[in-house]
Amino acid sequence: MSALASAATPLTRPAPRPGGLLRTVARTHRPALVLSALALAATTVALVWLHGLGGEARAGDSACATPPTDRLPSCAAVEAITADETYANGLAVIATVLSYAVFPVAAWAGGALIGRELENGTAQLAWTQSVGPARWLAAKLAVPAALLTAGTSGTVLLNVWARGDGDPDLAGDWYYPDVFVSTGPVAVAYPLAGLAFGALAGLVWRRALPAAGMGLAASLLLHTLLERHREELWPAVTRVAAGSIELPRSAFQVSWDTATPNGVHITRATFHPQSHYWPLQYVETGLLLAVAAAATATAFALLARRLP
Amino acid sequence: MTDTAIEAAALGRSFGRRRRQALEGCSFRLPAGRVCALTGPNGAGKSTLLALAAGLLRPTEGSIAVLGRTPAAARERLAYVAQNKPLHPQLTIAGTLRLGRDLNPRRWDARVPERIIAEGDLDPGARIRSLSGGQRTRVALALALGKRPELLLLDEPMADLDPLARHQLMATLMADAADHGTTVVMSSHVVAELEGSCDHLLLLGGGRVRLAGPLDDLLAAHTLVTGRSGDTLEPHTVVESRTTGRQLTALVRPAGPLGEGRRTDRPSLEELVLAHLRSPEAPPLVLDTEQEAAA
Repeated sequence: MSALASAATPLTRPAPRPGGLLRTVARTHRPALVLSALALAATTVALVWLHGLGGEARAGDSACATPPTDRLPSCAAVEAITADETYANGLAVIATVLSYAVFPVAAWAGGALIGRELENGTAQLAWTQSVGPARWLAAKLAVPAALLTAGTSGTVLLNVWARGDGDPDLAGDWYYPDVFVSTGPVAVAYPLAGLAFGALAGLVWRRALPAAGMGLAASLLLHTLLERHREELWPAVTRVAAGSIELPRSAFQVSWDTATPNGVHITRATFHPQSHYWPLQYVETGLLLAVAAAATATAFALLARRLP
Repeated sequence: MTDTAIEAAALGRSFGRRRRQALEGCSFRLPAGRVCALTGPNGAGKSTLLALAAGLLRPTEGSIAVLGRTPAAARERLAYVAQNKPLHPQLTIAGTLRLGRDLNPRRWDARVPERIIAEGDLDPGARIRSLSGGQRTRVALALALGKRPELLLLDEPMADLDPLARHQLMATLMADAADHGTTVVMSSHVVAELEGSCDHLLLLGGGRVRLAGPLDDLLAAHTLVTGRSGDTLEPHTVVESRTTGRQLTALVRPAGPLGEGRRTDRPSLEELVLAHLRSPEAPPLVLDTEQEAAA
């Protein structure tokens, strides 16, 4: 009789809600969750502290005069301020950390999130519960993707806030690779691409160590390629003039040629003005999200092909 | 509700680029409510067959239906315990059971696994990584039974257990299966482990079905003959015959009366299985259960 009753239950009860599956993902990856929460907390504290240091740092970086005038402080006094160096170094470290976040994410996704589960059979354990492989993979990707998006978005906003006016002397120019990646939506897209690469590598290799390595290698390749070709992502401005050219402040110089045809000195400069920051951010973000989507779709297709 | 737990038709599965055939041309039917022993030598395809039934592998040939559907559609109603008893090492026993509840929200019955854990004197707060192999087996079985499966697929379930735990867990398993009409398929290469608890046999050898059917019918279809060497065993089907001195011992499928002057015995399960394993050329015997259903 119980067999009859249980056969009828799926018809009478609603489809299971994904809460249990999401809880399971969170519970089985608690170390990663705790570690990222600690990293997030440390970055937040550092950025709040750096923001507080900003005023003093700007004073330590201001113009000076010897002897002091009415408008300019004495150079000895400005020299004595060390906050500017601490502030600049701190911001540089945060920028590097944010722009390299993709690498640990990719290695973790390939190794711990997917590869290890396929290697030791806990993925198969999940697939023989009431959860199909596709829903399993969706949950495995959705939970870290949501947390990564929230975490990196918050950190980028804090970073921009801590950079204040973004004085290039202190915070670095907008086109420095680390600064560019750590101040806009690109910072959110990179870890998502790393997550997708890692998950795909995990499904392809089905073992933790090679999958972590391949996820990392693929992300490294992507990061390097985009860094090398960033200036080509949006049409640059070219200026040709006789004599020399004064580029606007904080211009991202792409090329600089001089020629002397017919005895006239000609300079040809190609560059991105600061106003190209957002177009470049959007194009790179779009590219990263497209790559992440392609890797995710491939991962789902691979899983569907392998399993009935 | 279907009365067939597993039905395979010309089922085959090969692995790798070399297309190594782990299973080929397997056809059999397992009625619901049976406790089936799946046996065969190492590499016979037992684990492959169980993984196919659990929906973890795609057949390369033929088809397999589980509880009247595809294995993937029957996922919710079957439970599977893999040979290496995979569990998350960092979770506690209680955490592992919570995982079962969370992943089977429509079926989970916490009483069964809790009883199995308590019977093994296990602390629910203990981490999986601190458990012995046998204790992990107990947790894996508790997780499988908590789902209230209609079909329970167990790959070498008792290999890591000490004799006492094996006896006790097997009794729990059988009582639970009997109470709920669960179909159980249990693989093992130790035949003695299966005797006494199973009423159906599936013997694989070299990726093919060698024997399939109700255990009693299979045993009744075979006779152990002891006679003088030189005797002819025509017209019976000889599975295996051995001559020791002047004595002939043979396992045959009688085609009629075996004649006078010979000692005939009913073979044990072990004798039946061993004789078939020693003679790979003996013809397979698949007893469909329709006849017994009619009886």
